[in-house]
Amino acid sequence: MNMNKKILIIDDDDDIREATQICLELVGDWNISTASSGKEGLVEAIAQQPDLILLDVMMPDMDGLETFTELQANSVTRPIPVILLTAKAQPAELRQFTQLEVSDIITKPYDPFDLSDRIAKVLG
Amino acid sequence: MKDNKITGDRTKNKELDSWGRLLHRTIDRIRQSLELSVILSATVAEVRAFLNTDRVKIYQFDEDGSGEVVAESVNLDKLPSLLGQHFPAEDIPESMRELYLQERQRTIVNIASRQIGMSSSAKKETDIEFRPVDPCHAEYLIAMGTQSSLVVPILDNHHLWGLLVSHHSLPRIVTKQELEIVQLVADQTSIAIAQSNLLESTRTQAQQEASINRVGKSLHSMTEIELQQALQQTVTALQGSGGRVYIIPQNADSTAQLYVSGEQPVSIPETADRTTIPIEEHPDWQTWLENTAQTHRVIQPWAIANEINSLPPNLELAFKPSQIKSILTIQLVYRQKTLGYLSIFRQGIDVETIWAKRPDRDDPRNLFPRRSFETWRELQQNKARPWTDSEIELAQTLGSHFAIAIDRYQLYQQVHNLNLSLERRVQERTAQLQETNQKLVKEISDRLKTRASLERLSHQNELILNSAGEGIYGLDMTGKTTFVNPAAAEILGYEINELQSQPMHEIVNHSTAEGVVYSWQDNPIYQTLQTGEVNYISHEIFWRKDRSSFPVEYVSTPIKEKAGIVGAVVIFKDITERQIIDRMKDEFISVVSHELRTPLTSIRSSITLLSSDRVDPQSSKSQRLLEIALDNSNRLVRLINDILDLERIKSGKVTMVKASYNASNIMTDTVEIVHSMADKAQTDITVKPLSLQIWVDRDRIIQTLTNLLSNAIKFSPPNTTVSLEAHLQGDEVVFQVKDRGRGIPPEHLETIFDRFQQVDASDSRDRGGTGLGLAICRSIVQQHGGQIWVESTLGQGSTFYFTLPVSG
Repeated sequence: MNMNKKILIIDDDDDIREATQICLELVGDWNISTASSGKEGLVEAIAQQPDLILLDVMMPDMDGLETFTELQANSVTRPIPVILLTAKAQPAELRQFTQLEVSDIITKPYDPFDLSDRIAKVLG
Repeated sequence: MKDNKITGDRTKNKELDSWGRLLHRTIDRIRQSLELSVILSATVAEVRAFLNTDRVKIYQFDEDGSGEVVAESVNLDKLPSLLGQHFPAEDIPESMRELYLQERQRTIVNIASRQIGMSSSAKKETDIEFRPVDPCHAEYLIAMGTQSSLVVPILDNHHLWGLLVSHHSLPRIVTKQELEIVQLVADQTSIAIAQSNLLESTRTQAQQEASINRVGKSLHSMTEIELQQALQQTVTALQGSGGRVYIIPQNADSTAQLYVSGEQPVSIPETADRTTIPIEEHPDWQTWLENTAQTHRVIQPWAIANEINSLPPNLELAFKPSQIKSILTIQLVYRQKTLGYLSIFRQGIDVETIWAKRPDRDDPRNLFPRRSFETWRELQQNKARPWTDSEIELAQTLGSHFAIAIDRYQLYQQVHNLNLSLERRVQERTAQLQETNQKLVKEISDRLKTRASLERLSHQNELILNSAGEGIYGLDMTGKTTFVNPAAAEILGYEINELQSQPMHEIVNHSTAEGVVYSWQDNPIYQTLQTGEVNYISHEIFWRKDRSSFPVEYVSTPIKEKAGIVGAVVIFKDITERQIIDRMKDEFISVVSHELRTPLTSIRSSITLLSSDRVDPQSSKSQRLLEIALDNSNRLVRLINDILDLERIKSGKVTMVKASYNASNIMTDTVEIVHSMADKAQTDITVKPLSLQIWVDRDRIIQTLTNLLSNAIKFSPPNTTVSLEAHLQGDEVVFQVKDRGRGIPPEHLETIFDRFQQVDASDSRDRGGTGLGLAICRSIVQQHGGQIWVESTLGQGSTFYFTLPVSG
């Protein structure tokens, strides 16, 4: 059902990237690719043009918000829906994220099935 | 009768010479004394010697015409003595006494010739007129044993004082010369009597004056006791047996006063109710005084009762039980006002009179000459002694003194009473004043205490206001400052006087944090002034003098008095630092949250999937998910341990258990711990132990060194060397851990010791750290009183240093 859908996971945490990739591949049967930093994610997004990007917020060098800005600044990546994955769960922080034109905001630690459902919802 | 005997010239001359000497001697003797008895004795002795008769006597008349022989020279062989005998008035009839007085008639009786010679001295007659003697007179003289008599009157100040009488038992002719000589002696006797009387009068006067002085001295001392003494002195002076002074009450409030001395009458029953009153208060007293008192032209009216039975009946009753027989009462008058009565009482006396015969005026034989002069003793017992004019005069004088004294005494009493009243009023007033004074003192004391309390409170308030860290200012109803504390001025960057009486809204909070100006009416403080509401404002900014602003929170509170709201107090606090701290807290929580959620994300994802039927438990993916879950569980445990450890050290809840250890042992023990890790990382460790005793918590210093060495190993490329050294520098030991790693950017050299401040966040996963190791190291070193820092060169490596005091 989602065989052709490509999802790019951008997260600096290796375990999260790997566990999430395994989960999504098993639950959603999506085509998963990953990037361990914002810069790497931008490159991958432009190169692969995924159907959806799961973007971690807190990353060194270029964090998720900067990466999102860059994605939005690029006409190739701007249409790609982005779901923010964040370990920041303070209300003020969440309010800040809602200002962004992202498809969804999911706080860590998330349930892999819930994540899958919300991805599916975004992908339509 | 003519002188029928003429003596010869020679004899006459001799006689005259003898008479002259006699007269001179007689007069000389008379004048030698002023005492009447001596004078009279000398007179009769000299006259008898001169006349050579059997008896010469001096007869003194009493007031009633009777008389007494008061001096006598007698030849007792011839004639009996008549000295001391009284003769009734009838013996010398009043007509004869008148002749003696008016004519100064001298008589010479010669019984033998039955002739009486009479010669008037007043008419300067020298001749003696003889005529037949009255037979009765002759019989009288014969009965007395006298054949010849010579009588010459003795006058005293136009008053027939007495007679100088010569009796002879034989017939004898008295010559004219003898008569003249005797007359001269009688005249001298009159003078002597007058002088003696004068002396006596003077003596009496002196005694009276002495009495008056004594009484006056007592009276004018103005005390009750001496009024009593004056009364006693008066009684004594007037030879009374008792006396009393009755002082009439002067007004309705006062009572009568009675002073008594000696014998007294009893009180008189006034009415049937058996009450008794002093005699002076009885109506009969006034009646008696009105009837008998001598009031004409006398200052002190007086009354006497020489016999008690002459008193009104009620008064007589009062005196009857006593021995009092006569009364002298002086009405004490001063300034036409009767003040009281001074009464002197006398007892009766026994009067013994020796008569030349027993008088019996009813005996018809009295019409005949007496045939016997046999003495008869008459004794009158308990007879009243009459008051003399002198005594009455003395009593009046003393009465005047009493009246003056009583008046003064009453004035004194009035003054005394006034003084007492005044003193009482003064005492009462003084007591009132003292009470008022005490109240005032207490009030003043209370006020002083209150003032002191107020000053203390004011001082305390001032201290509180001055010491308060918060800014405090007061506003009146217009929003102008009434006071500003130093903290407010300092926070706002003003001097206090620059803010006094200024509208604070225009100075400090005229705009929002966004710079939007708002009106005074929109200011919450204005609302407080208008409504009395207390407003707590936590998101506001105040503006400083330099036009910078700072976040504040403030509370505006109304100042209320009875009349209502009179102002407001604003207490504000610069919350810049608190906001920073809050932000840091939020950031920390955010970081911790992130650090905890990150491993949990892997754990939850892995376990959730493993617990579902979507993955084959035997597959490699399943195995990998388990490993991921386990690794992140360990990571989570380390993280939680480090967080708790760091917080306990920082908060002081972990006590450094210090003891003396050798630094070299600690260094080598640490190297042993990380040795396997170094081997695994293909890194060499060199150590240069410093043998020195240090005062430390051994386990915590090993924890610090382990952290630093493991970090150095983690970030060292393979086949490089990590070194641990220590050296003494001053009183500190400096440890250093050196690696050949990638180095630390300069901007991280300070923050690297903060929590979760790794140079690269992925380091915590890649290198197995929690991001709290260096923060823990810094806390441990600081708890030991040391410092920690890092020196680093990018691409060449880093050297971490920390110091520990040798002494601990």
